[in-house]
Amino acid sequence: MTDGAEHTAVLVEHYFRHEYGRLVAQLATKVGVRHVELVEDAVQSALATALTAWVVNGLPRDPSAWLYRVACNHLVGVLRQDAGRLRLLSSTAELEHTTETTPYFANEVRDDLLRMLFICCDEAIPRESRIVLALKTLCGFSTPEIALRLFTSEANVHKRLQRAREMLRAAAADLSSPPLDALQARLASVHEVLYLLFNEGYLSVHTESAIRRELCDEAIRLATLLAEHTVGDVPETFALLALMHLHAARLAGRVDGAGGLLLLEEQDRARWDRDQIRIGIAWLARSASGERFSRYHAEAGIAAEHCLAPSFRDTRWEKITELYLLLDRVSPSPLHTLNRAIAIAEWQGVDAALALLDAIDPPAWLSTSYLWDAVLADLCRRAGRDEVSHRHRERALSEAPSDAVRDLLRRRLSADPDV
Amino acid sequence: MTQPTQKYLFLHRSQAGQSTSASDQRPSPEQMQAMMAKWNAWKDKFKDNIVDWGDKLKPGGKMVSGSTVSDGPFVEAKEIIGGFMIVTAASLEEAVVIAQEMPGGPGARIEVREMANAHM
Repeated sequence: MTDGAEHTAVLVEHYFRHEYGRLVAQLATKVGVRHVELVEDAVQSALATALTAWVVNGLPRDPSAWLYRVACNHLVGVLRQDAGRLRLLSSTAELEHTTETTPYFANEVRDDLLRMLFICCDEAIPRESRIVLALKTLCGFSTPEIALRLFTSEANVHKRLQRAREMLRAAAADLSSPPLDALQARLASVHEVLYLLFNEGYLSVHTESAIRRELCDEAIRLATLLAEHTVGDVPETFALLALMHLHAARLAGRVDGAGGLLLLEEQDRARWDRDQIRIGIAWLARSASGERFSRYHAEAGIAAEHCLAPSFRDTRWEKITELYLLLDRVSPSPLHTLNRAIAIAEWQGVDAALALLDAIDPPAWLSTSYLWDAVLADLCRRAGRDEVSHRHRERALSEAPSDAVRDLLRRRLSADPDV
Repeated sequence: MTQPTQKYLFLHRSQAGQSTSASDQRPSPEQMQAMMAKWNAWKDKFKDNIVDWGDKLKPGGKMVSGSTVSDGPFVEAKEIIGGFMIVTAASLEEAVVIAQEMPGGPGARIEVREMANAHM
């Protein structure tokens, strides 16, 4: 089964995981997404076969082609066994044919991955199931791995996956795989899923930075594929990529040596990743075309201001204030007002910031969150309103989602800055 | 140093009835890649000792006893043999070390038996 020659080359990081996503996308394109579970089983078996065969015989000359062939053969075998799937035989014959010819071209692989991404982002699939389905089929994470990364139970991940698969089975149209153009209407949903995927990693309170980083990297990988294809090469995609890179640049700077979170003003800007900032700025420049100013444009603009500022003090807070206002216009949320108040406090002073917050009536989800209390505690403390500050501080500490956040709040909100 | 020539048979045993078919229980691609790295490290360390990688064994089979043929898996056995391998070692103790360092899944057990060279 091997190609004879023994290669001792080491597999690149996440090779199996990414191959899983590639193979699922390619084979699901061939036999129809309705059979994605059969496809996933076949790919899982191919990887298990590789695990044994490659240890004993060394790596084959073209490991990716080897995996494709083995997964195909496995899938053909399963489809053959089941008389109920007779109507699949024509695609089965095609599958067998492909195993004997050139198995894949880079362009086709990219198209298959993107098609799968658009299929995961079907509006008919519940929002919280889309991201789980993408992580499972495209990124090759197992159910326990997804649960760990999304801070939820395995049972919950399983339930969401099942719901997504029911939807895929019900979607009758894709025995033959739809052309990418036909799926373009889902682009906004694709952007949203990639954005959520990135934020799950970026905002995660996981103490292990490698785990946080993985989701960010996956989001960047898929968004880059999207930007390179005509189906997705629009300013919003570029802005989304800009914001991802500009946030990723600061990921390492957000934690101290012990894994504790650091405030923006405490961060060592020398630890920010200059390459990531350069890439992010380049995407931001490309995004500045067309008529639409999306929330991704606003958020990328804010991230760019932070990345390019020489220090916390020398940040262009007036620009950031303006961008939060623009963000609130394209994607209204009182959270943006809260963030704008933080920028105004640095730009015009705490009284102006408090006046802005006094004027709004926050919804319960915000007024009961630790963020709201933490910002008010900080602003009131700086305004000399110690008693009000203390009240908000106590509430912020009790609502903090993790010990790392609690430590950060304690440091920031303590009356004596040296404590 | 002369190579040891004494052969040992490794029998991989696992709990009978412990199914790994549920998709949530199977190793993830990432775990499989990590497992492969461990196996490769083990292979590099003991490459001179590995005589025959043997094989995995499919479940089921038959038990033949004279004219009586019964079906496996064998209900009386608590463990089933899932595979075998042949290594050389200078002593049973060394063979045990090789087996101990072999990467295994949870609950994996290896029976180490010295081969008697009975046909020589």
